[in-house]
Amino acid sequence: MSSLQEQMRARARELLTQGAVQMVIGWEKGTFWYLSPPAFITEPGECDRLVWDEFCTNNLAKYLLDYKHTGDKIALFVKGCDARGIVRLLQDNQIARERVYLIGIKCPGVKDGRQAAALGEERRGEVSPAEKCRFCTHPEPVIYDELLQEDGGEAIREAAAAAEGRFAEVERVEAMSPDERYAFWTAAYDRCLRCYACRNICPACNCRECIFDRSQSGWCGKQMNRSENMFFAITRAMHVAGRCIECGECERVCPEGIPIMTLNKKIIKDLNELFGEYEAGVDLEARLPLGQYKLDDPEEFH
Amino acid sequence: MLKIAKDKLPQLLQAWAAGARVFVPQEKDGTRVFLPWDGQGKLTLDEGNTLEPPKDLFFPRTETMYRYQVQGQEAGVTEVPPFDAKMVLVGVRSCDARSFAIMDDVFLTKGYVDEFYRRRRENTRVVALACTEAAPTCFCTTFGIDPGRAEGVDVQMWPLADGYLLEVVTEAGQELLEQGTGLLTDAGKEEIPAAAKPGLVVDIDGVTAKLQRMFEHPYWTAVSRKCLGCGACTYLCPTCHCFDIQGENRGNSGYKFRCWDSCMFSEYTRMAGGHNPRPSKKERLRNRFLHKLQYFPERYGKFACVGCGRCLDRCPVNVDITRVIREVKEVTL
Repeated sequence: MSSLQEQMRARARELLTQGAVQMVIGWEKGTFWYLSPPAFITEPGECDRLVWDEFCTNNLAKYLLDYKHTGDKIALFVKGCDARGIVRLLQDNQIARERVYLIGIKCPGVKDGRQAAALGEERRGEVSPAEKCRFCTHPEPVIYDELLQEDGGEAIREAAAAAEGRFAEVERVEAMSPDERYAFWTAAYDRCLRCYACRNICPACNCRECIFDRSQSGWCGKQMNRSENMFFAITRAMHVAGRCIECGECERVCPEGIPIMTLNKKIIKDLNELFGEYEAGVDLEARLPLGQYKLDDPEEFH
Repeated sequence: MLKIAKDKLPQLLQAWAAGARVFVPQEKDGTRVFLPWDGQGKLTLDEGNTLEPPKDLFFPRTETMYRYQVQGQEAGVTEVPPFDAKMVLVGVRSCDARSFAIMDDVFLTKGYVDEFYRRRRENTRVVALACTEAAPTCFCTTFGIDPGRAEGVDVQMWPLADGYLLEVVTEAGQELLEQGTGLLTDAGKEEIPAAAKPGLVVDIDGVTAKLQRMFEHPYWTAVSRKCLGCGACTYLCPTCHCFDIQGENRGNSGYKFRCWDSCMFSEYTRMAGGHNPRPSKKERLRNRFLHKLQYFPERYGKFACVGCGRCLDRCPVNVDITRVIREVKEVTL
């Protein structure tokens, strides 16, 4: 059997040549060795652009929405977190299952590109796992049409997320006094540029029209100041409540390094405590904690 | 030529801070930005470009333009007090110094002077710091910028192992250095260190002429596919200067403000009836590149990119302007 990357290229080529799909979305090498941005392949002859390495970080699920109104069938490579993004989009009826062909990859975890840039290529082996992978609960895709296997099988890593680790940062912030917590979050969101990279990469953010693109509505002013930035942060956090798949992409793409996942994980932790353990985007049939009503739902609000 | 020891620099900043607001790269919450010097901060002058460009000192993210109130049949406008603080901007790299000249073109020329911008700009002294090392994302020399000497500044500094060399460029710069008497020594035989040599270089000859014929080219579809349509590149760009003007109304009074805006957003071009002439990220991304590489050169005779590399460094999906320039030159028409 060949390397994962060779399999990716071969399968993409077959699918495009057969006309089974009109586009394959994967990753390719970017400007620098530590970047493997998304690649969109429509010609069989272009398939050798595809790469698989430790910097294939981008969650590709969200791109499906760009092709929602075309008739194209699209093949997509999915790691664990990408697959959960797909499940979320399917649950929200954003795209029909038959429009997508999913090629699963058992993900060994990707690496921190920013740290890699600082270390330099000669120390490539020392680069730490990406923050988003540190507490991953599903390295293997939860939905796929076929699964690629690594040659000889270096064992796939164990799901890394012991609950203690997954919520450690949340607990650190919870332990702060209200004043400290206020200082922590305002310092973070005072930096927010309102570039909306977090929203745009997020598979849970799939509203046809976002509230933050309607500044004339008066809900959220366009001023970049503490009040409006906090309104943005809290609104978005509550809006993805129960739908965040913990892919960590919002935090990765934030140019200002705002700890967005700490906010999202706080809500996940609260939801688990209020409505029972739930992981978004894992089970296509499971109903969302905030998308259903049970008679014994707790009524208190934290 | 003068010299200051590294451990004396805070005292020099302190001397300037006595009569002005001094802004200098400092680390705060894990990011490096130009922050006001209060004698306590962690100076990070020597680590290359700041995360954010210093443009918000002249062109704030959000700025109140005037206030208004209505009483019965009477309406009144209250002007915002004009900005009159003195500022000293320390540690500006050659790329950012060029960006000031570009912003000056926009806000001060062609028959209209933006008073908000002018007041801040004219009240500011700029102390540049030469680059002796380039980041992989740096490409200033592509635009004819010398990383070893900045344009349009008052004082030029160069880093040494144990301090900085300083050279007066303007009279205002002379005044600044006079305030440092006792801290500055004669540089003697110290030599100006060699300027950085960015490894990323792209040939921009002819790119404007090529772009003038590429508005409808399918290249824009291909290059925009991966774009997230976020505004990170525009907000971190030292030359992006688009703004929106809106009002915040409460009952009988309110204020008008202007704030940064981004051509990457759908709302930017959405018209009152709902029509959007730039309906998708293809048209928006195209506009961003055409503005930098075609429209701005057509209007002002220079590129609106300074090769600081911030967009390249922070774009979540590696949309790379140097690659776009290269590919534009290669595509067949």
